[in-house]
Amino acid sequence: MSKEWLICGAGIMTLASALMVVLSSNAIYSAIGLLISLFGLSALYLLWGSAFLSVIQVLIYAGAIVVLFVFVVMLLDMSRVVQTGKGPGWFTTLLVTGTGWIFSLFLLRALNRGNFAGAIEHKALGSISVLSKILFREYLWPFEVLSVFLLAVVISAYCLARPESLDNSGSDGVSIKGPKGGRS
Amino acid sequence: MSAVEFSINTLKIFLLWFSIVNVVPVMLWVERRAAGLIQDRPGPNRVGPFGLFQAIADVIKFFWKMDPVPKHVNRFLFLIAPILSLIPASLTLAALPFADKMVIWGREYQLQVSDLHVGILYMLAIGSLGAYGILFGGWASNNKYSLLGALRASAQMISYEIPLGLAACGAVLFFGTFSLRGMVFMQDGTLFGGLLPKWGIFFQPLGFLIFFITSLAETNRVPFDLPETEGELVAGFHTEYGSMKFAMFMMAEYMNLATMSGLMTAMYFGGWHIPYVSDATLLSWLGGSVNLLAIVQLGVFFFKLYTFLLIYVWIRWTLPRFRFDQLMRVAWKNLIPLSMINLIVTAILLYFWEMR
Repeated sequence: MSKEWLICGAGIMTLASALMVVLSSNAIYSAIGLLISLFGLSALYLLWGSAFLSVIQVLIYAGAIVVLFVFVVMLLDMSRVVQTGKGPGWFTTLLVTGTGWIFSLFLLRALNRGNFAGAIEHKALGSISVLSKILFREYLWPFEVLSVFLLAVVISAYCLARPESLDNSGSDGVSIKGPKGGRS
Repeated sequence: MSAVEFSINTLKIFLLWFSIVNVVPVMLWVERRAAGLIQDRPGPNRVGPFGLFQAIADVIKFFWKMDPVPKHVNRFLFLIAPILSLIPASLTLAALPFADKMVIWGREYQLQVSDLHVGILYMLAIGSLGAYGILFGGWASNNKYSLLGALRASAQMISYEIPLGLAACGAVLFFGTFSLRGMVFMQDGTLFGGLLPKWGIFFQPLGFLIFFITSLAETNRVPFDLPETEGELVAGFHTEYGSMKFAMFMMAEYMNLATMSGLMTAMYFGGWHIPYVSDATLLSWLGGSVNLLAIVQLGVFFFKLYTFLLIYVWIRWTLPRFRFDQLMRVAWKNLIPLSMINLIVTAILLYFWEMR
């Protein structure tokens, strides 16, 4: 009984802080909301018996990716960016949330129909040895393809974001340069 | 779980946490005395015998100092930032195996808060959250020096987490478990017919070296204390902090240091094992008393932990500080490739070892 209450609490925490991400006008508070939301998700994974996934969630997302988000937000001085222009109107908001909701319902249906973890018991997924055997024996090929795909995404993101010339400093005097090549 | 078990477990958790928190005042004294020793001066020697009560005086000073909050700060984040850095520092020690077990009224109690089967991952994950306290503290201070310190801290901690994790992966591969307790049990005994103790460092020397260097960077110690360089950034991210709020940052730093030392002890230096003396031999020497054994093991563990802390202090007062581009180059161009090589070589060797 108490476990259900904990799951409810973690779910409410996740959703409430996710709302904070969207509704907050200060980018730093959005980042904090995202952080709390990720912790809620991690707690949910833990309560569903997958300690490994829960810890990895904290390690990768909360420990590294959101730190980078906060880093960028602080570096860019978002206070000047945020106040420009109005937010989207209520119609757009409704349309986007409604579409997202319907799509998530479809996704849920599809996931329920699919027989992903048919052979795997839910309990066993919590232990790393079982998980890694499944990942590196049965799903090795998709796993490796996915990592190559992620590498391609990283390289293309770099190509898109790369400035035309490297000594092109930002307009507000903030210039981010790498160390001058060679021995410095 | 009965009420007695519950209270003993609570007491156990509190005592283990307390023993790590008490690293802070001890290290306050040790750091200054060692600095004095290295720089050929006495150090604090007036308060109590050998200046031992200096730490108490410092703590009282921190508590009684005026605690102003500057007007230009983001008040909410400014106030929670020290807490955010202290909480992860207190949480990480939950997976540290201090000693084997005690038997009280016929029930076994492990001298470890929890034997997680994802122990190392848990410690790395929670440890990486310490960056938030520094980041938010620096940003909320609304001060260029603080912000620069915070940005440096976050960049540094993210960069060095990668070689730290990869070096730990080598040890995980070798021991075949994520549980720190399991690792310590596997380090009982000797190698090559009694020549060397069967410690992780003899199987993972490069891994240990990388782990040690990155642990210095993760805890913002010299030579990696770029977030708080007094020469260029006043005091870095804690420029605007005073009294107990500053002390909380400092406590978090020393507790992280202690946890890292404990992690290295458990992973590479045999945890609670005395070299050349196996647990079974020690137990027979102590007349078969499990509780006495646990106390001896606790002593051995803390001896190793404090040795690491002393080495940290020694390094702090010996080495000069890196420049920031050097620090980044060390991480990305030297440590990450080295730790990957370590991981791959470990995997290949283990494969052939299993084939044999």
